[in-house]
Amino acid sequence: MISQFFILSSKGDPLIYKDFRGDSGGRDVAELFYRKLTGLPGDESPVVMHHDGRHFIHIRHSSLYLVVTTSENVSPFSLLELLSRLATLLGDYCGSLGEGTISRNVALVYELLDEVLDYGYVQTTSTEMLRNFIQTEAVVSKPFSLFDLSSVGLFGAETQQSKVAPSSAASRPVLSSRSDQSQKNEVFLDVVERLSVLIASNGSLLKVDVQGEIRLKSFLPSGSEMRIGLTEEFCVGKSELRGYGPGIRVDEVSFHSSVNLDEFESHRILRLQPPQGELTVMRYQLSDDLPSPLPFRLFPSVQWDRGSGRLQVYLKLRCDLPSKSQALNVRLHLPLPRGVVSLSQELSSPEQKAELADGALRWDLPQVQGGSQLSGLFQMDVPGPPGPPSHGLSTSASPLGLGPASLSFELPRHTCSGLQVRFLRLAFRPCGNANPHKWVRHLSHSDAYVIRI
Amino acid sequence: MTDSKYFTTNKKAEIFELKAELNNEKKEKRKEAVKKVIAVITVGKDVSSVFPDIVNCMQTDNLKLKKLVYLYLMNYAKSQPDMAIIAVNSFVKDCEDPNLLIQALAVRTMGCIWVDKITEYLSEPLLKCLEDEHPYVRKTAAVCVAKLHDINAQMVEDQGFLDYLWGLIADSNPMVVANAVAALSEISESHPNSNLLNLNTQNINKLRTALNKGQIFMLDCLSNYNPKNDRKAQSICERVTPQLSHANSAVVLSVVKVLMKFLELLPKDSDYYNMLLKKLAPPLVTLMSGESEVQYASLRNINLIVQKRPEILKQEIKVFFVKYNDPIYVKLEKLDIRIHLASQANIAQVLAELKEYATEVNVDFVRKAVWATGRCAIKVEQSAEHCVSTLLDLIKTKVNYVVQEVIAVIRDIFRKYSNKYESIIATLCENLDSLDEPDARSAMIWILLESFLEGFHDENTQEQLTLLTLVQQMLTLATQDSDNPDLRERGYTYWALLSADPVTAKEVVLSEKPLISQETELIEPTALEELICHIGSLASVYHKPSNAFVEGSHGIHRKHLPIHHGSTDAGDSPVGTTTATNLEQPQVIPSQGDLLGSLLNLDLSLPINVPQVSSMQMGAVDLLGGGLDSLVGQSFIPSSVPATFAPSPTPAVVRSGLNDLFELSTGIGMAPGGYVAPKAVWLPAVKAKGLEISGTFTHRQGVGWILESSLTGVIPSTPLAIHTPLMPNQSIDVSLSLNTLGGCEKQYRCLLLQLPQPTQCAFVEGGKMEHQVFLATWKNIPNENELQFQIKECHLNADTVSSELQNNNVYTIAKRNVEGRDILYQSLKLTNGIWILAELRVQPGNPNYTLSRKCRAPEVSQYIYQVHNSILKN
Repeated sequence: MISQFFILSSKGDPLIYKDFRGDSGGRDVAELFYRKLTGLPGDESPVVMHHDGRHFIHIRHSSLYLVVTTSENVSPFSLLELLSRLATLLGDYCGSLGEGTISRNVALVYELLDEVLDYGYVQTTSTEMLRNFIQTEAVVSKPFSLFDLSSVGLFGAETQQSKVAPSSAASRPVLSSRSDQSQKNEVFLDVVERLSVLIASNGSLLKVDVQGEIRLKSFLPSGSEMRIGLTEEFCVGKSELRGYGPGIRVDEVSFHSSVNLDEFESHRILRLQPPQGELTVMRYQLSDDLPSPLPFRLFPSVQWDRGSGRLQVYLKLRCDLPSKSQALNVRLHLPLPRGVVSLSQELSSPEQKAELADGALRWDLPQVQGGSQLSGLFQMDVPGPPGPPSHGLSTSASPLGLGPASLSFELPRHTCSGLQVRFLRLAFRPCGNANPHKWVRHLSHSDAYVIRI
Repeated sequence: MTDSKYFTTNKKAEIFELKAELNNEKKEKRKEAVKKVIAVITVGKDVSSVFPDIVNCMQTDNLKLKKLVYLYLMNYAKSQPDMAIIAVNSFVKDCEDPNLLIQALAVRTMGCIWVDKITEYLSEPLLKCLEDEHPYVRKTAAVCVAKLHDINAQMVEDQGFLDYLWGLIADSNPMVVANAVAALSEISESHPNSNLLNLNTQNINKLRTALNKGQIFMLDCLSNYNPKNDRKAQSICERVTPQLSHANSAVVLSVVKVLMKFLELLPKDSDYYNMLLKKLAPPLVTLMSGESEVQYASLRNINLIVQKRPEILKQEIKVFFVKYNDPIYVKLEKLDIRIHLASQANIAQVLAELKEYATEVNVDFVRKAVWATGRCAIKVEQSAEHCVSTLLDLIKTKVNYVVQEVIAVIRDIFRKYSNKYESIIATLCENLDSLDEPDARSAMIWILLESFLEGFHDENTQEQLTLLTLVQQMLTLATQDSDNPDLRERGYTYWALLSADPVTAKEVVLSEKPLISQETELIEPTALEELICHIGSLASVYHKPSNAFVEGSHGIHRKHLPIHHGSTDAGDSPVGTTTATNLEQPQVIPSQGDLLGSLLNLDLSLPINVPQVSSMQMGAVDLLGGGLDSLVGQSFIPSSVPATFAPSPTPAVVRSGLNDLFELSTGIGMAPGGYVAPKAVWLPAVKAKGLEISGTFTHRQGVGWILESSLTGVIPSTPLAIHTPLMPNQSIDVSLSLNTLGGCEKQYRCLLLQLPQPTQCAFVEGGKMEHQVFLATWKNIPNENELQFQIKECHLNADTVSSELQNNNVYTIAKRNVEGRDILYQSLKLTNGIWILAELRVQPGNPNYTLSRKCRAPEVSQYIYQVHNSILKN
């Protein structure tokens, strides 16, 4: 059971503090937590900490610390699950989770906590159930506008741009403006994939995996039925085969418990009656065998003259996406040997940018078209202790501290697994209103895309 | 209107303002005011002074306002119980409210108020609520019973609340069931002997049917159940396996725990067993796709699982590739697991990765990668060659911390493969100058000297002499110039050993070095089994048994894996059966007799000291008591047995079990009456892989202190031979050859005991101060150095106190009688020359003494007090 729950800002100020059992140290505990967290040696984990008979378990979410304490040997997993569920709930109710929204809605947050936990025992975390009990309305900072396209991004996904749908529309409280029914008829369905890749210095692929999610945020009245049709060739596991082609294969799938799978076997259709708010409908993963080539390949060549300390790195980046597609916000991050000072560069196109930041080379490519090839030549001086007597020749052995290169990027309208949402059909017909808006978006982004040099 | 501006107010007038607003006529205003108050509470300010005004707001039919008021009451009810009484009428009224939200709110809040008067009012509405038609009220009421029990346990039992709770277990609403079970289990935990949670087969079936609700609690209960045969185990496994694909990681881990336990019961060659192993891998892999916090907790659990059953994940080593953007704590865990999974088949891949990791930026991670490379060499013999060359490559990077770590690791490789890689010493020596860390330096010294010793006979005389001179010089330096007492004493020990008994010295110093083994980094099997039973809990994340960090009743119960009974075994018995306990008992007593016998044989001159024998008898009583407790207590938590005396099915536990409990004494005897501190555990079993050493010092008049020790977990082939008493600051190295029942000698080799110096042993004789000197010193020491203590419950008179203390080198200088009280002035001296003066006031009839101490070094006073206290009480 849980003794306390609190939310701290990134600076450690308590925003919310709730004691459920009254058996432990008062609010100094929040301060103690922050002190312990910041004073932890590098090789110890801050996730679960123990102090004086009390355990702190926390997650970081939107730069806030959500912390629970307990004095029992409970499952840290259920606490971590609870914390991330709480983060979603608070986001649903307050619009989004952040220092500002929390401190604007203190009373609402306490009311929620009161219903979610009693005497440290979890009661319910369902948005739907809680709706019956919660009285306070969320305070939002400014009215939302569908036309506010300035900050475009997917809800939840920490990406900057997708240019598909106005995401601020998705970040509003599920319960706000009860009277204003017309605004609510929207559904957002996202297929988001995270790609992690590790390529050895000889170019061989060491590891690739894709972790995908289908996420739904619904502003429709709860319980309205919808059907999500997935690619028909979608198959699960190594052995299954569907259709004539190679199929869209994943290794593992798990569904939210509310998903009805009656039509999944036959037609790859998911049926569900989602509650209002955010919901992860399906999670899947795929490793090793990608149906399509990797989006990027990097061909580095390094020239290093140990004697003079001159380091020359030539990077050639090829984008193997289909020519219609493009990658956005591509950034290459290459750690450099300690003490690199100067940088001279020759880039293949003007919109690119490269700079030294935090001892690493940062090469920004705002947009990379499928099939294109870009290159950059970088020259640096590495001072520091002169190496062993120079042979006077430039050697190709790379100096210590160089690499590995990591890429971050977003691939809008692209899924690495090939999975697509064929259709999203709503059984719900609002009386007198226009059809609900349906937004279906596909996106892949890099999780860790590492190329060793 | 937003709440954020409430954070900014900071004036004294604020309270008055709030009060005014709280009494405003308009409901809206009042609501805003309460909101403000709540925001103020969060910043940590005290607003308890508006309590009465808040209570006034309570009488409203506005639900929003009411909820806010209750938020306030919850916060202050516990700390301001007196004020909460004002609200009692409103509480009772709200408990009967037609609106179920208000009803539940009132019941919930009342349970948090620690005032008997309120609980009296509470019981009646609570009984009604337990039978309310709406599940929301019932589930709130169920939790409230647990709260009430915390305040007034008697009332809960007298008024039949527990029967209501049992009734709610069969409720139609899952939330009500869950809360009822939670409440019952919490109540039963506070009564370890009660029979509240009776887990008989019938109830188990009930819980099993309820499994569809995915309750982790139920799974946990299930894992405590010991099925009577493998068919039953298999049927439970079949039922829980589908839950492995549950989206909630907590559920997945609970299922994994159940399966890991029941795998023990299944025949190893059955198809089902192998299929189950295959089924365990994918959910564990899926856990790796969560948030990094969940990943970390999962990795800690996977770490346990791969140590127990590496076959489950042997194909999945790719999952534990370290990602560039993993937090450092996830990276380190992944490395650990990769080492556990390393085998001949994948070693090349593992090593290639490790080499990459060793060039990363994070120092902790790089060190761990280097260390892991060394582990590989020790674990997979075929790879040693490859590992060594990888390590040599790393040395060439000349990065200081890499080089140092490499050298420390190479020492371990040398210990495993002696005479194989001596050729690389030259490379190591090139880096001699850059070594500045103690670990690396000592490793280098070890490697160098070891290589000299190997070839000692082949060297010419001059070199041999040089080496010997060095030894001589080192001993001199260590004993004479060093300020470190540990070092000095070790030096003296060797010196004394060499001068007194060269034969023994040879045995000690030149004994065969045991091989280092890969197991050194593994968790000791007994501990591992216990941790496996705690998969998914905090214990599994800390890798410590729960009694190491949770206080209370849980501490005394230790879980272990069940035994494979085979299908014919009958009986639904809990783990740690009655029969086992009974069998164990007769073995206890003979071994005690043997001990006494051996003690008598050992004893040289004087009879065995009385306190020791009595302490052993105490031990016997404990053992029996523990056994009985387990007989009584087992109906409550089936798989639990008392920790130390766990009759266990696994050989690992037997090793440290009762059979091997023995004691050694070297007692020459002691003056009767001297205080003997109870044996303290110097080396807990957890730290020393099962070996436990405990001991105490006894005082013998005019001689010094005698070491008594006992070891648990090993059997000595010869008795511990310390025949002379130890003087303070004297150190004796004793060689004791130990036989263990398992083949684990190697683990104990590098065991260096550092004994805490018992303070009472530090009182030296001759601590008697001259009368005049005493007076002068007492006056000279500033008053702020005086510390007062109470010694409670001591029933000696002044004279006995004085002689008792005299036996322990605390000397009475003078005695005065003031107003019927005896005042004793005492002095004592510590081995390090610190004088301590004390004044002890004894009042006849009053068992509490006052002790004032003056000393120039006040920091020692606390310890002295403890010694004083314990001397007088014995």
